[in-house]
Amino acid sequence: MSINENSKGPQAAPKKTLAQRMKPYLGFYLMFLPVFIFVLIVYYWPMLGVRYAFYSYKLRSIQWIGLGNFVKLFAEKEFWSSFVNTLILSVGKLLLNTFVAVVISVFLNEMLNLFCKKFVQTIIYLPHFMSWAVVAAIFTLFLSTSSTGFVNETLKSWGWIEQSIDFLHSKTLWRPIFYMIDLWKETGWGTVVFFATLSGIDPGLYEAAELDGATRLQKIRYVTLPALSNTIIIVLILNLAKVLNIFEPVFVLYNTRVLEVSDVISTYIYRKTFLTAIPDYGYTTAVGLFKSLVGMVLMLASDYASKRIRGRGIM
Amino acid sequence: MKKRLFSLTACAAMALSLLAGCGGTDAAATNQGGSTNENGEYVLETLNITVDGTITATVDAGQAEFVAQWEKAVGERLGHPIKLNITQLDHSDYSGTVSRTLTTGQPGDPGYPDALIMSASMLRQYQTTGLLWNLANAYDNAEFQSRVTLPSINMNLRTSDGSQYGFSPTYGNGCVTYLKKGWLEAVGKSIDDIKTFDDYYAVLKAFTQDDPDGDGTNKTYGVIAAGFGKLDEAPYINYMPEFWQGAYPSFYKSRETGQWVDGFAEDATIAALARLNQAYKDGIIDPDTEEAGTKQAREKFFSNDQTTSEGAFTYWAGTWLRTLTDNMNKNEVKKQSGELEELVQLPPIKEIKDTWGGYLNREAPTWVITDDGDGNDAREQAIFDALFDTMLDGGTVQTLWTYGAEDVHWSTKAEEFVLNANDPDKKKEYKYEDGQFHLRPNPNDPNSLWKKNHLDDVLVIAPLTNGFKDNDELIIEGNRFFTENCVDAPAAASSPTLTDHEADLAEGKKALLNKAVVGEITPEEAVAQYKEKFGDISAAIVEELNSQEQ
Repeated sequence: MSINENSKGPQAAPKKTLAQRMKPYLGFYLMFLPVFIFVLIVYYWPMLGVRYAFYSYKLRSIQWIGLGNFVKLFAEKEFWSSFVNTLILSVGKLLLNTFVAVVISVFLNEMLNLFCKKFVQTIIYLPHFMSWAVVAAIFTLFLSTSSTGFVNETLKSWGWIEQSIDFLHSKTLWRPIFYMIDLWKETGWGTVVFFATLSGIDPGLYEAAELDGATRLQKIRYVTLPALSNTIIIVLILNLAKVLNIFEPVFVLYNTRVLEVSDVISTYIYRKTFLTAIPDYGYTTAVGLFKSLVGMVLMLASDYASKRIRGRGIM
Repeated sequence: MKKRLFSLTACAAMALSLLAGCGGTDAAATNQGGSTNENGEYVLETLNITVDGTITATVDAGQAEFVAQWEKAVGERLGHPIKLNITQLDHSDYSGTVSRTLTTGQPGDPGYPDALIMSASMLRQYQTTGLLWNLANAYDNAEFQSRVTLPSINMNLRTSDGSQYGFSPTYGNGCVTYLKKGWLEAVGKSIDDIKTFDDYYAVLKAFTQDDPDGDGTNKTYGVIAAGFGKLDEAPYINYMPEFWQGAYPSFYKSRETGQWVDGFAEDATIAALARLNQAYKDGIIDPDTEEAGTKQAREKFFSNDQTTSEGAFTYWAGTWLRTLTDNMNKNEVKKQSGELEELVQLPPIKEIKDTWGGYLNREAPTWVITDDGDGNDAREQAIFDALFDTMLDGGTVQTLWTYGAEDVHWSTKAEEFVLNANDPDKKKEYKYEDGQFHLRPNPNDPNSLWKKNHLDDVLVIAPLTNGFKDNDELIIEGNRFFTENCVDAPAAASSPTLTDHEADLAEGKKALLNKAVVGEITPEEAVAQYKEKFGDISAAIVEELNSQEQ
């Protein structure tokens, strides 16, 4: 008798077929079935439309053109400009938002007056619940060069400027203004995750640091920030995967004079699809498909980075 | 066992709910809009139309009553019941939504229109696609033909081979320049002082610098418009005609040579950009003009805060003279004397008369019928008979399209009503005798009088025969003024390359226009950059347009 034969035990039980393994849970599978069908129809069936990336599709005329749309796409200066802008705007706002959210979270964590802390939290969360359309309307009015523009009229009345500054139409100012508006709207909400992490730090660590004679700044440096570092990395990795999806904040704030620095892939697709009298859906599908492929690469890169840093992936 | 029973029940319920959803769609999809009767004739049972904001009897302003009365009147005329479904799209994204509907649907689909409204530019783009029905014969044989007073409007829509894909029940209308009379008085001017561009400019400058609203500050502007030029909508220059003068920033057929040319590349455009740039530098044009839509521009013009408003505004003629005046009155916009502000219409300045001849009368919007492509015209002819032929019947149905639903939007019954009953300053009483045609309070705004529905009784190509006429003096005056001072706008261009690049061209030109006006680049640089970027495309379009003529 061989060792193998002796050591069979429970591992040696005959392998069950898929049907046999499913049978005890048949009710659950049946209950899941409609949801599965729903997901297939709503999420995956429309994906069959990616085939149009290889067609010219205008009104009801659909013609196979192979890689023609991609050749046209890669030759378009506007496309590459929008691609670069997407990365600059998305990554820029991701880094800025994360940094400022961390700083605010730490400050809030240090705030001893509970009423004051709650009040500040409420105030900075509020802009997140305003739609981008409303935010854009407010800031457009606020920064207008017309006599209704609050900022320019105030600066003029203080004698700081003579001519109005065209904040939203200036190629040099548009991106800083965009980052600033995005910070105003989203940073408060971005603090929620960090604040949750901070509230989970063992108070014993702070007490021990205090016994060791640590100052307040040293406690932040040696206790708070190390505790936050893992969360910061997770937030960055998770958001990195969706940097190409930026649309709404740009769409409501950009204009033709700053297209070179503001046009992103999604707004490029929007204009080509919805502002063209008879659009070529094949071309815009190709742009969308390319965007999805790059997004997938970023997602895989994020997953890899997550595995390396945290020991587990995000997918 | 209980768990399994529960899970099976839940599963069945979810599956049923999904199937129920599918069932609803399926039922609607079976509606093909018509059937064939025992004599083999096509009977149109349902008519789906897609419209923009030009039908003012909207769902919250008496559309249900309009539809009910239309179905009754047309049903009686056709001899069988007919159902009317109106899909009213967002006015600002009308062409985009129409494009998507026509791409993804087909006749018989729910939501796919049997007939729809198209601008002249849209018609030119779609008439070669095979999606629209050639209605030339139906138009020639229409019952309203004997009453048509402006045959050229529809004849101009015909292609070189005699096909006609659109039907215009009215002529186009256009914009005129309105000035605030109180502001003119405040700066010591009158409308008769303005004959040339220099005169006009001097008045705008006074509106900007001479405190016409009397608040002690200089925060007012000379003029506002929805863009320095409306480069995505023909006739492009009609919101700032005094500045554009003879320039036309798109493709048009030169009156001198009879050849198509690219107006944006011409010297006239450089001159127009220079005028706009100077006015922008002088603070005469409200900077909000750059991004303003028509709604924002007009609301700022008649705003209750006149301290940051403007004295001149070029907008649609006729009914809009009444609407702008009403809105100013509603906002209690007053002259320095304390009286309610009034608008005066500026006759075309010399430079406009010397070039175009007057304000531009845009190409009329058209109605089109979708072709189901079955080679049989029965369905399309039935749509024409039910919709277009009745629309100009001179009586009941035309009245519905002109003024709306009886006893909702208008009436001939004796009645009395009061508008603004709670405001002694604006209170107005109306009293009518039996048989006297009159408009009623707006269902959507009971403090204002209803104005019109889709057709303008002054612009229509075959007048009403029942004598119903809105006698609003401002509207009559507005229409008279425009009719006396207008010329036809250049015909819209259409070529395959233009269709492919129209959005890029409009966007590129708008960017260059805005940069030139605000002084980022010179007018010469704007045109040079345009030629550099779009020169090849422009040349191809011009060549296609001219070869179509041969």
